[in-house]
Amino acid sequence: MLINNEFNEQKIQSPLQYIWHIFKGKNIAVIAMWAIIAMLMISIFCDYLMPFPHSQQHPDMLLLPPYWSDGANPIHLLGTDDLGRDTFSRLLKGIQLTLMGALLITFIVSILGVIVGATAALMKGFKASIMHHLLDALLTIPTLLTALILIVLFGMSYENSLIAVSLSLLPQFIRGIYICIENELQKQHIIALRLDGATNLRLLRYGIFPNIIEPFVTLVNRIFTMAILEITTLGFLGFGANSEQVELGSLITKSLELFYLSPYLVLFPGLAIFLIIIIFNIFSEGVRHSVIEGED
Amino acid sequence: MFNYLLRRIYLLCITAFVLTLIAFTIEHLTVHTHFRENTFTHYLNYISAILQGDFGYSIIDKKPILATGLIAFSSTLELCLFAFIIACIVGVPLGIFAGLYRNNGLDYTIMSLALIGLALPVFWVAIIFSVLPNAFGWAMPIDGNISPIYEIPVVSGFLLIDTLLVTQQYQFDAFLNHMIHLILPSSVLAIFLMSEIIRLTRHAITMVMRSNYIKAAHTKGLTRRQIVFRHVLKNALPPIIHQLRLQLSTIISFAMVIEIVFSYQGAGIWLFDSIQQGDYLVLSTAILIISGFILFSSIIIDLLLVFISPTKRKSLYADQ
Repeated sequence: MLINNEFNEQKIQSPLQYIWHIFKGKNIAVIAMWAIIAMLMISIFCDYLMPFPHSQQHPDMLLLPPYWSDGANPIHLLGTDDLGRDTFSRLLKGIQLTLMGALLITFIVSILGVIVGATAALMKGFKASIMHHLLDALLTIPTLLTALILIVLFGMSYENSLIAVSLSLLPQFIRGIYICIENELQKQHIIALRLDGATNLRLLRYGIFPNIIEPFVTLVNRIFTMAILEITTLGFLGFGANSEQVELGSLITKSLELFYLSPYLVLFPGLAIFLIIIIFNIFSEGVRHSVIEGED
Repeated sequence: MFNYLLRRIYLLCITAFVLTLIAFTIEHLTVHTHFRENTFTHYLNYISAILQGDFGYSIIDKKPILATGLIAFSSTLELCLFAFIIACIVGVPLGIFAGLYRNNGLDYTIMSLALIGLALPVFWVAIIFSVLPNAFGWAMPIDGNISPIYEIPVVSGFLLIDTLLVTQQYQFDAFLNHMIHLILPSSVLAIFLMSEIIRLTRHAITMVMRSNYIKAAHTKGLTRRQIVFRHVLKNALPPIIHQLRLQLSTIISFAMVIEIVFSYQGAGIWLFDSIQQGDYLVLSTAILIISGFILFSSIIIDLLLVFISPTKRKSLYADQ
């Protein structure tokens, strides 16, 4: 029997493999991916990486500048605050709470949003119109106001601020998914699938979800950015993490009155928030472009 | 056209009804005092009070809460408007350049600036901006929205108009003072708005430049400048306005955060102070004021879109 293995070397890649193949060619996006992995590692193993416990005070070394300026102590890489606590350790701890909270919110919101949005898009009649009007009303309330209201209702704590932020971001995401699916439902291949007698689940699995990856990535990225901004804003306003927990926004509030003594205490947490957001944005931009190129 | 207006107003009524339900729920959960009534009669009482303009009295200063809220929110709107003007002046030309010279060095620079603008946390930028003028040696006011030496009677609620009404007393000093107070907060808000506008404009311009009528204009022998001014700008405008309408609530919530940092007497600081002092009646009032504004403005923007773009008008007739 003829075995022609040497002619069969060109395999047809699966769509995911193909997207990954394109993604590997984008240098900046791959760097961003490694940076994300590093940040995840930092926030998971934060307790082992910190040079000092985040609440340990060094009364002999108050308000030290970072190591590159005069009068610094190289033990404390980024200096200390007014109680002599190590800024670098507190930043790592802050990144842990903020990043993990935002990732958790993004995960929960995207799962709930996809379920509710898909149901709303495939429903018809009275139920759909109730859903539609409720969403319309919820979308007109600014997210910060929603978060403040939920914080007042639940009480002030870090966990409640996470719940409040995720609930305030949910309507936006549902609306985004709803619009994507609605646009997709107009197309010819969906009608063909319907004529084949496909159930709604099959329609979603084979007809809709493979085609909305690109807007989905954009939406998830947007939700993640908004989540980080909202969590830190609530922490900054004093409605989020309490004084025991270190969170990037509340770090800024606590060192606000020390701004003229040691501006680094305000600068570093802000830069950390900025870096987190921009790295995730670059990564998702890379994913989006490779999805678009893969579809062509 | 008239049918379309009627339909929009009908939708507005339903959404407003849902909003009153939400506001009522919050009022019921936080400051409920009438324990003898059941929920339904309480709702009816609430609605009839709202329709008469009686939102209740603040427990802090015993003033009607609607008046305080409206004055505070009009300051927020002033801030948003000022920021919007700055952002349009800077953002629209940059967006057009980025869209026309796509995948160019200029495009990459502008787009990275826009990306940075979206990624910066607003309150942090506000803090930095409140220190920067001091570092350069400029004397800029960083708190409040007008110097306390001016006594401005409240006529319209908008300080920009009210300060112009007292020109007999202060000439234009009060107006200029208010403008100087507005510069820093609005430029912080403008950074965010600008990057949003740049992104939207670039996307819209690229979409338009790909379409067939631009190719037709090229074959007609029009110069690039003529094409841009005659065809591109007019057709790129509707999607930008549409997207900005969806961003309106985000803009307002950013404006509220900025107000808190600059202690600018707007809706943000009104909410923040009242919540900290336990006056939870502001929550339902704020929902009704802010969301009511967003609802009305979205309808007005929709009508505007119908006026400026004929393609929308066509889809609107097909809808009925």
